Amino acid sequence: MTELVIETTGLRKEFRSRRGLRVAVADLDLAVPAGGVHGFLGPNGSGKTTTIRMLLGLARPTAGSMSLFGQSVPTGLPSVIDRVGAVVESPKFSPNLTGRQNLTLLARTIGVPRASVDAAVETVGLTGRDGDRYKSYSLGMKQRLAIAATLLKQPDLLILDEPTNGLDPAGIREIRNTIRGLGESGVTVLLSSHILAEVQQVCTSATIIGNGRLLASGPVDELVGASTAFRVGAPDPEAARQVLTTAGFTVADGLLVETDRPADVTQALAAAGIWLTELTPVRRDLEAVFLELTAADTLGGAA
Amino acid sequence: MRRLTGVELTRLRWRRAVLLLLLIAIAVPVVIGLARVWATRPVSDSEIARAAENGAGEIARCTDRPRQFGLPPGSTEQQCTDLVVSWYTGREQLSLAGERTGSGMGVVAILTAAMLLAATTFVGHDWNSGSMSNQLLFEPRRGRIWTAKALAVTLMALLTALVVSTAYWLGIWAVIKVRDLPILEGALNDSLGYGLRGAGFAAAAALGGYALTMLFRSTVATVGVLFVVSVAGGVFIALLGLSEQWQPHKNVAAIVKNGTTYYVDVPDSCFMGMQSGRPPEDNSECDHERDLSAWSGVGYYGVALVAVAGASVVSFRRRDVP
Repeated sequence: MTELVIETTGLRKEFRSRRGLRVAVADLDLAVPAGGVHGFLGPNGSGKTTTIRMLLGLARPTAGSMSLFGQSVPTGLPSVIDRVGAVVESPKFSPNLTGRQNLTLLARTIGVPRASVDAAVETVGLTGRDGDRYKSYSLGMKQRLAIAATLLKQPDLLILDEPTNGLDPAGIREIRNTIRGLGESGVTVLLSSHILAEVQQVCTSATIIGNGRLLASGPVDELVGASTAFRVGAPDPEAARQVLTTAGFTVADGLLVETDRPADVTQALAAAGIWLTELTPVRRDLEAVFLELTAADTLGGAA
Repeated sequence: MRRLTGVELTRLRWRRAVLLLLLIAIAVPVVIGLARVWATRPVSDSEIARAAENGAGEIARCTDRPRQFGLPPGSTEQQCTDLVVSWYTGREQLSLAGERTGSGMGVVAILTAAMLLAATTFVGHDWNSGSMSNQLLFEPRRGRIWTAKALAVTLMALLTALVVSTAYWLGIWAVIKVRDLPILEGALNDSLGYGLRGAGFAAAAALGGYALTMLFRSTVATVGVLFVVSVAGGVFIALLGLSEQWQPHKNVAAIVKNGTTYYVDVPDSCFMGMQSGRPPEDNSECDHERDLSAWSGVGYYGVALVAVAGASVVSFRRRDVP
């Protein structure tokens, strides 16, 4: 049985205000297995950050249970917090302290040596700027400092909420590679992001939520689905279309053939003396899946 | 807990607003002390000569008619000169007892205000910047975080107030010694005790300010509430018809001065006794002036502090942290 690093059962969070009751997270069941990078997707206000905040003990659930590394949260959180690094929403540090001072205070809180601060600063590329006040940092530098803070613990689980916000393209690529590398090295990463292409590139599995409810969860390949169409290239596209139509394939514009057996396409064309120049699987991307699911959820919610 | 408290003390040391308030807590008592030393300086010969010159006419009239100046007939010119010069150079002597009823209270007030503001700004900044949630990601046991911060602000306030108070009273004592003025037996100990109680009150105020800020999660809200309570609290107590015993300033005085007195309205029947010429017994029903002990003051503020700290801890442990 796969070890679950994060598990929630019937997790619910309600906010009461003068305008009434608002359900931010509704009976969410979440299961994140050990290892790999797990995407956590949902539109704005879908309950991603609230879920993360509950997992980290910053917010109390209204109902349900949750655990990290098998330890119940919040009661067992102190025993596993040293294994969890997290950046929740925007980085939050004391603006008048330097980046190094902020990291030093956090490092001393968990009793890690000063050398860990140097290593974390170097890893995120803040060497030389770590002596500057945090308030003078750009958004990208603030993100890097937040990631440096998570690395102080050498965590087994990283929870990252929009970690590439404000980074330039080079920074995004660097952080993406870092996340991928961490996932490959055995660290479990829960990556909450709006950049779906990024999630598809980096994540091995994903959970999609909407209006605080689970919409879909599983390996990214399964979520996207197997390819059911192939783009065909041939020297004479019209001749190829006729051959394929005669062979019983449904052919759309641009020689898009709907099938889950690409070998039959090559066989039919080769038998007619037409040699393929292209046979490319056309797959739905995560964005399409995400939009489909969340649009349906919104419509369902409206109804 | 020791490690966490150490982290919080470092955080305090690195906070500029706190350092500024600590500087104020040192500088203002120094200024008050210097002002008192200057205001009570011995009269110099030149000042005496100038006073005698300015009051020459009065000295002459005094010599002619000493009784008009309250002196016995036949008083010498020197006696008249001494009297007139004393009018022009009248200056109180520096004394530990005098300062305990005067500038000492000012020093306690400054220390209390500075320590309370330092504690409030310190933790208000954590909420304002959002760094509180970051700290909880490294130590999720909220009770420990609350306690470590409380210990840090209380230690800082107590140490600072104690050092400043002790230095203040030793400084005043040293000046009195240098001026060769009389010092009553036990006066220095009384003054150091006064400083110790004042420092304790300042530290308790810092703890209260911290607890309130952890409850309201805002420096502005805490300062606003304390301002309203300090201004309107006394008026409200008076409007309720409660005796001076319940006034906040009377209880501060009771703590710092190791007991004080307060005024009460006595029943009309007491005036019958007064007409008969018998003075009322101390603290009896007919005595206008009652004693308020230091322990009463400690109880008054202690209950308030425990209530605020309790509410603060419960709130911090239960409420979501932004």
